Amino acid sequence: MPSALSLIYYFFHPQELRSIIQWKVWHNPVHERDESKECASLKRCFYFLGMTSRSFVAVILELHPELLVPVALFYLALRGLDTVEDDMTIPLEKKEPILRDFHNILEEDGWTFNDNGPNEKDRQLLVEFNVVIEEFKKLKPAYQTIIKDITKRMGDGMADYCKNAEHDANGVNTIADYELYCHYVAGLVGEGLTRLFVEAGLANPMLLKRPELMESMGQMLQQVNILRDIKEDYDDKRRFWPKEIWSKYVPVFEDLFKPENKDLALNASSEMVLNALSRADDCLYYLAGIKEQSVFNFCAIPQSMAIATLEACFQNPDLFKKVVKITKGDACQLMIDSTQNLQLVCDVFKKYTRKIHHKNNPHDPNFLRISITCGKIEQFIESIFPSQPKPVESSPASAEAEAKAKAEANAAKWDMIYMGVAVLTTITIITGSMLFIAWLAGARFDIAFVQFKQQMGQLLGTSSFNSSEVASDHSEL
Amino acid sequence: MDLPRILVTGGTGFLGSEVVKRLIETNKFEVTAIDINPPSLGTEISSDVRYVRANILSPAELHKVFAEARPSIVVHTAGLVPAGHARYHQKGKEAVFQVNVEGTRNVIEASKECGAKGLIFTSSVTVLVDELGKDFVNVNEEWPTGRASLVYGQSKTAAENLVLGANSPDFSTCSLRLAPIFGPNDSIIPQLHSLIPTSSFILGSGDNLTDFIYLSNAADAHVLAVQNLLNSATAADQAIFVTNGEPITARDFCIAVWKEFGHVPSRAIRIPVGVAWWMGLSAEAFSWLTGKDVGFSRGLISDGVVERYMSIAKARRILRYSPSVSLPDAIRISCAKLESRKRPKNEEIL
Repeated sequence: MPSALSLIYYFFHPQELRSIIQWKVWHNPVHERDESKECASLKRCFYFLGMTSRSFVAVILELHPELLVPVALFYLALRGLDTVEDDMTIPLEKKEPILRDFHNILEEDGWTFNDNGPNEKDRQLLVEFNVVIEEFKKLKPAYQTIIKDITKRMGDGMADYCKNAEHDANGVNTIADYELYCHYVAGLVGEGLTRLFVEAGLANPMLLKRPELMESMGQMLQQVNILRDIKEDYDDKRRFWPKEIWSKYVPVFEDLFKPENKDLALNASSEMVLNALSRADDCLYYLAGIKEQSVFNFCAIPQSMAIATLEACFQNPDLFKKVVKITKGDACQLMIDSTQNLQLVCDVFKKYTRKIHHKNNPHDPNFLRISITCGKIEQFIESIFPSQPKPVESSPASAEAEAKAKAEANAAKWDMIYMGVAVLTTITIITGSMLFIAWLAGARFDIAFVQFKQQMGQLLGTSSFNSSEVASDHSEL
Repeated sequence: MDLPRILVTGGTGFLGSEVVKRLIETNKFEVTAIDINPPSLGTEISSDVRYVRANILSPAELHKVFAEARPSIVVHTAGLVPAGHARYHQKGKEAVFQVNVEGTRNVIEASKECGAKGLIFTSSVTVLVDELGKDFVNVNEEWPTGRASLVYGQSKTAAENLVLGANSPDFSTCSLRLAPIFGPNDSIIPQLHSLIPTSSFILGSGDNLTDFIYLSNAADAHVLAVQNLLNSATAADQAIFVTNGEPITARDFCIAVWKEFGHVPSRAIRIPVGVAWWMGLSAEAFSWLTGKDVGFSRGLISDGVVERYMSIAKARRILRYSPSVSLPDAIRISCAKLESRKRPKNEEIL
């Protein structure tokens, strides 16, 4: 039931309401999951998918049948890994072996984990992890290999971070460390998904030869999340913004949240935005390599959401007070635009890039670099979809055509002149005839003329009189 | 072993002197610089360079100088650029064509006569973008030239056609189409500096992207072209766009420059293009009536609101060109130079 407040909101933003209705009513999934063919454990897996991934579940469920289950299980495996890593109530000596061995656990029938804290929201997934394992072992060996490899590398990365006491105490130091962290939690996901897509024959194998593209897909999403969640993370006593960035503006991290440091904090946030924004053209390049529609939708929707979120966070003081979100109407419009073709996604990126550019603050030390990055994105989009076609070069045949066109234009011009003359002549003849006939019938034109003269005389006389009167009044004052 | 000999026309000029400097720094070439003017005061004169005074409008002088220098490659940077508002006039057309077209013809003939292997011509993006009032969005070398409506663009087109037309199996030529060049001692930064009082006004949407090139990057492109023509010659018979590869909105470029002088516009007053056009027309009428040049015209407005940026994919591919000085650094260096040039005046006053 929509609240009264939101009804009022949509009254003043009808375009957004239209987008929501359009998405809810008219969106046709490329593929739909067939539940009747699923066994109990697979159904349970999809239940967990819906429970743990509110934002992604919809697009996963629309994937091509070949990829639906592998991607769903890949997601659940990583979610399981993340649930262990995230839980601060589990001691390190217990946590580390699980993280490092998780890729083997995927093949261990009946394995479950009951030691998550009661407040860990996804703990039930691990309590029943045996159903995930059961379905994982039914996958094609090629898919299993990919998922296991990524799980191993991510598990090792997470374990390394857990052991890093400095990371827990001080957060991320350098931009390189920051991007390495994003690589482990998101870049690897991009790689895994890409390998699954290519294995299924639904994406261009060339994507595997450009690792920086799939890396950027993950980096973009993760960096936007870190940027947006700064306040939430701070309240949870975690920090992911690299010290190398924020220490340019404030001496200690906490100072970012003080009202008197608003401008400095915004400058710091714009450098975070700049870092993420520089990934945008790689993301578009990656999307150009996707062949199948549902895979394209799956990849494009999060990226469009990310660029829109980036714009919402840019130069926004609210960033340090709460989680900044795009409106539901905008989200629906983004989903509509992201499920068509690459050109519309490019239009989305161009639109939000220009919005970011318009909000760019000249006082910000990152002003020029942000402007340059916006220009690069726009140039990249122009190189894929030129807005301006190359002019046709003139040739001898074209010259003849041009001469012919010129002659025709000349002829048309004279036709116009002749028509004008004809019309005037006709009017003159008719008028003359009418006057002559009237005269024959006894019309007194001489009297009419005299009267006309008198009327004009009186009119002029009256004007003079009024003029004098006004002048007189003025002199009296 | 003898080093390849390079002759640079316009060698004491803004771009030419930088090209000479870069060629010398590689330690791979012997350089002769010719110009109608001596090296300007303050320019560091290298003892490794032979400076010769010569006028490219005099074929006899050129033949003599070229015969003495015996260059393998000629870099032709000499040219006449209508400065400021003269850019939009037909006045001075004769002089521009004389230097840019006939001068180029003379250089080509002298180069061939003395047995040079190749010629690199400094052209300009204006061969394309001087079609006034038209956008050029991420254009490349496939776009046809010959539609320029301004004198400078027309003269550069004619000259470029001469150069590429002179290409043959034993005489390689190429044309580098440079974006507007800025750098220390240039003319662009001072012009923008003088606009600070009007910095609050925005013409049109302010979204139009524009390309520039920093001086040393432009010189690097010439050095790369020299090396190319001496070896693989894949650049022969090619016109190549060269820019900084960082298109930016015209307004943001201005703001970045103003910031370097401690000024940031506090307000943004938007003037629609249509209104500005009429203002330009009025200014031109006033100028015509009084004979005094005012700093405003329809041409200036047109230049300010159109999109003009190019793809440098060809330069990257053929020349292996990569801009080494990025736009933020380039602006900082250029503005610092202008700032230091102003200081002596203050000292004089003191």
